Amino acid sequence: MTSSVSSSLREYARGVAGGLMFSLPLLYTMEVWWAGFVAEPMRLVVYIATVFLLLLGYNHYAGLHHDHCWSEVMIDSVEEMGLGLLLAAAMLFLLGQIELDHNAYEIVGKITIEAMTIAIGISIGTSQLGGGEKETKAAAEASAQKEKTFTGQAVIAMCGAVLFAANVAPTEEIIMIATQSHIAKLVGIALLSVALTAMILYYIEFTGSRRLARRNGVLSVIVGTVISYAVALVVSALMLWFLGRFDEPSLLTIVSQVVVLGLAATLGASAGRLLLQ
Amino acid sequence: MKQKINKNWLEWTVFGVSAALIALVLGFLIFESATIGDALPDIHVLTGTPEARTSYFAVPLEVTNKGDQTAEGVHIEVVLRSGGKEERADLEIAFLPRRGAREAWVTFKTDPRQGTLEARVLGYEKP
Repeated sequence: MTSSVSSSLREYARGVAGGLMFSLPLLYTMEVWWAGFVAEPMRLVVYIATVFLLLLGYNHYAGLHHDHCWSEVMIDSVEEMGLGLLLAAAMLFLLGQIELDHNAYEIVGKITIEAMTIAIGISIGTSQLGGGEKETKAAAEASAQKEKTFTGQAVIAMCGAVLFAANVAPTEEIIMIATQSHIAKLVGIALLSVALTAMILYYIEFTGSRRLARRNGVLSVIVGTVISYAVALVVSALMLWFLGRFDEPSLLTIVSQVVVLGLAATLGASAGRLLLQ
Repeated sequence: MKQKINKNWLEWTVFGVSAALIALVLGFLIFESATIGDALPDIHVLTGTPEARTSYFAVPLEVTNKGDQTAEGVHIEVVLRSGGKEERADLEIAFLPRRGAREAWVTFKTDPRQGTLEARVLGYEKP
């Protein structure tokens, strides 16, 4: 059924609120603005493509329109990315970060890099902040069924990881911690990440965690934890690569940064995932 | 499960604008990546007309980077020679984007309108 204009307007407004909620820290961070024009154009293209895939995945597995087909998921994702670009441009202008006399690459780079997390925020805001006017019980159950699949969990975990890790990934602090900490402390951070992941997913009865823990057993706890942390590490590595933090030669520094960022990412991949779906 | 897509005019408009925006951004980035080289930062400093302020003189600077790489921590020095005396002023620009420009000012106690100004870049780093 075609929804009324006022209800779709409300849906967009929800998305805008969600987008700002999740990405305001990034809009207020100067390292992110700089990353926008320091990054090579091809990296930004890869970033846009990756985020678009994530949006497709999230909208398919947890999106608002549970009765969707793929073309509808595609349309939703395009809309979210477009709104993200508009919102990023408006916010950066208000924050004084884009001026008309800046060159085009600087403006487009800043907007693009900010818009991608806003787009994920919009996607999550639209589907999570809603009052569920249209949602029927059957549709909710159908989506819950779909979320339980392995790919569904992995996609939502990735979105959670990106959303959490994005807030700290561009800061100087990551490289500072990575290069200044003793190696034993870095191992400590990794162990803490694993422990937190297992605890959030299977022990502390976080909202929604029961759905996952149904098939309990030591093996499934280990497998689930390992997968979550692996997703977090992959997301961390991708973000750091995108921000140009892998351009240096030392493998130890690279791995250290991934571990340091991995703690934030794994919180998103476990706790974030349970909240997002 | 083929379904007919039901969207109202607002949703189609948002979709249309979004699709156009994404295409524009992608097109621009791909065009940039095709045309951009790896020329190292090439920084030019242009001094403007000095202006008198309440207790000092301000000289506007236009700093441009003609290279294809961004420079970080661009340190600029301006020397004023007037009546056999020298006065130095310097400033640092956090980031100077590739093919980008920034406006800045340096200040002097002596009137620069009576002397000659010489601006140069002392150094910068790779971001």
